[in-house]
Amino acid sequence: MARVVEAPASSAASSFRRRPWVRRAGPLVLLVVLVALPLMLPEGANDTLARIGVFAVAVLGLNVVMGYTGQVSLGQIFFLGLGAYVTAYGVTNDWNIVLVFVLACLVPAVVGLVVALAAARLGGLAIAMVTIALPIVGVPLAKRLSDYTGGSQGLSARFTDAPEGTGLYDDQWQLYLVFLIGGTVFLLTRNLVRGRYGRAFAIVKGNENVASSMGISPYRYKVLAFTIASLIGGVSGFLYMVVVQYTSPETMSFGHSIELLVAMVIGGAASIVGSILGGAFYVVVPDLTNAIDPSLTALLQGALLLVVLFLLPGGLASLPRALTRGRRRSRAGRGPAAPPTTPSSTTGSGTAAEEPETERQGHA
Amino acid sequence: MRKHLRSRRALGIAVASAVAITLPGCAREVGGGGDGGSGGEASPGITDDSITLGITTPLSGATAGPGTCTVAGITAYFGAKNAEGGVEFGDGKTRTVEIEALDDAYDPQQAAANYDQLKDEVFAMTAGLGTPTNRAWRDAAIADEVPQVLIMTGDPLFSDAEESPWQLGFVPIYQNEGEAFGELLASSGQDHKVAILSQNDDYGEGYVEGFTSAIEGADNIEVVEQLTYEATDTSVDAQITQLAASGADVVFNAMSQVPLVVSALQKAQQLNWKPSWFLPSNTSSPGAVLEPGGGAAFPGIYSVSFAKAPASPAFAEDEDVKAYLAALPQYGNYPDPPAFPHCQWSWMVGATLEQAFSEMTEPTRENFMEALRSIEDFQAPLMLPDTTVNTTEDGQPAVSTVVVQKYNGRGYDTVESFE
Repeated sequence: MARVVEAPASSAASSFRRRPWVRRAGPLVLLVVLVALPLMLPEGANDTLARIGVFAVAVLGLNVVMGYTGQVSLGQIFFLGLGAYVTAYGVTNDWNIVLVFVLACLVPAVVGLVVALAAARLGGLAIAMVTIALPIVGVPLAKRLSDYTGGSQGLSARFTDAPEGTGLYDDQWQLYLVFLIGGTVFLLTRNLVRGRYGRAFAIVKGNENVASSMGISPYRYKVLAFTIASLIGGVSGFLYMVVVQYTSPETMSFGHSIELLVAMVIGGAASIVGSILGGAFYVVVPDLTNAIDPSLTALLQGALLLVVLFLLPGGLASLPRALTRGRRRSRAGRGPAAPPTTPSSTTGSGTAAEEPETERQGHA
Repeated sequence: MRKHLRSRRALGIAVASAVAITLPGCAREVGGGGDGGSGGEASPGITDDSITLGITTPLSGATAGPGTCTVAGITAYFGAKNAEGGVEFGDGKTRTVEIEALDDAYDPQQAAANYDQLKDEVFAMTAGLGTPTNRAWRDAAIADEVPQVLIMTGDPLFSDAEESPWQLGFVPIYQNEGEAFGELLASSGQDHKVAILSQNDDYGEGYVEGFTSAIEGADNIEVVEQLTYEATDTSVDAQITQLAASGADVVFNAMSQVPLVVSALQKAQQLNWKPSWFLPSNTSSPGAVLEPGGGAAFPGIYSVSFAKAPASPAFAEDEDVKAYLAALPQYGNYPDPPAFPHCQWSWMVGATLEQAFSEMTEPTRENFMEALRSIEDFQAPLMLPDTTVNTTEDGQPAVSTVVVQKYNGRGYDTVESFE
């Protein structure tokens, strides 16, 4: 850790965050908020939050393969669609819902594994080309296999009405499901990328030769990252059915894959918080532009994308850092009394695995 | 100082959350609307002097052209009515009609989100284009008892009153079109050999189903060859060659892809095979399909329609068409000549809704659905002679009658018989 010089504010904040009671109370407070939120918010806000959760999970999956491991994937929406179709098919055939969930995770993961075994042998942009093929093949496939997918008319599955006796509204129940499943995925992924695997991913991303010389097989870790991303994509597909309750070939159209990619970059590549922000961007921006002028949505979305990328090249997740940097610069300009700071020193208080990543994303 | 602030804030959030958990009941009073329908209490989206209608339709992306039309037509229709003071309802009140339209970019997920956003503000959802985008929130609309009516999809599900009690499609379903041509052919009195080429999905199957049901029992019609192609195919040359060898004199061509229809027409000419053709309404445009495809080379090209073509010289002096073309730029925010029939259809949706409003005696969604389902033989403006709006027949959309038209080298003329 190259924390040579630290600004007083951030050291105070990090020492605060390191206090034992804060460490224990922080997650607890978050949990309480997550439990209380669905009960307090109006129906529309709950629906929006639930949809944000769905796409935050999808963006998180993309982040594992692209943000953390540096492999361009343009096929993430295919795995969301696959998970959604598996869920819809299972529900319409009255399978046990736990089994449906497991299948919605496993089927995309296996497909992802098979694709990755071949694709990861190729270098660089070739992987992107292979992954492009997934949604392009997926849409006509979903139309042709109409016995399983309902063809171009799609499949409806309404299985997430609030159970009798809970006293909850449907939207509250759905939001709890999203919080529970999505939260678990986020927690597991956070642990993954901050641990041994996360460090290996980062080295593969940084330099494959270095990784090989350290005994880390780039091929194996690329396949692993891609498989995990597919699995998470499948989970987001399950959540898609929880919230939207309908899937059709349009669900996995190629354009959405690009939108997911945009959401990841806007939220912040290789960042857990960035994934949530990316999901929020994916969901909120169309609503926002609709509120401004429904006939100019595409134009407004493009303009917004350019503005964010211009002002925050590291994505929305880098906003706090950009702010502290700006504040420090203005303070330094004010007088010679300001403490000397080296511009390249890392000021964030993330852990070891995340730090080099957040540092690099500024140049991405 | 900052530390202090943080812990205070954390405490505040914790207390607020604890309070919220103990009082879950009082949070929700407004939401969940839609029930409580019995009695004369007004539904959301309607007051004594105005009513709001919602639309979710593609306004950006590949289907933005027709999607924009679905909003423009109805907005122009009610814009003109509002300028005259409003629409008279069956309960004696006169109300202005507001349209709230949102873009779904043909994304089912966004369509469902738009519906969620609109359902408590609008009285009814209408006019939206697209099968998946309407299916995405069909179940929710049924559960919330929100009307989803006169929508632009050929999917028969929306016209099945049992399955879809709060829905009604507007445009003819695929079967209607195939059936109209089949009937014309069966009544020709001559022997015909028919070759069928259809898209291998619900679209093609719907057309073929309608056609075969119409020619069932007609001794003069023989289907000599039946082939399919996939919507993603880039060529149907092989199928056309095979069909040409069958010696058929009529081709029933249920294709939804404009470039494929053009190349099919060209291929047939290369093979010197000159049958009569039937083309679906959405791939029979004179300018986009028949001219590049060399349609004049064939003895007859037939299609179906129920709307007057505003660009046709035959209707240049038509009162309906004149009023429509004047209102579209003025109230519909659509300055160009209408490029898609959806503009005309949307205008008819406006007229049909007005018809239902005039029969509505209570400002409720239930009463509206009753009024809407009791329209018989209503000739909406811009409708061709012999076509009407009829909502009383279960399993059929609001418009289920189409007339067969024949290409005359520039546009289409309605025909009574196959020649």
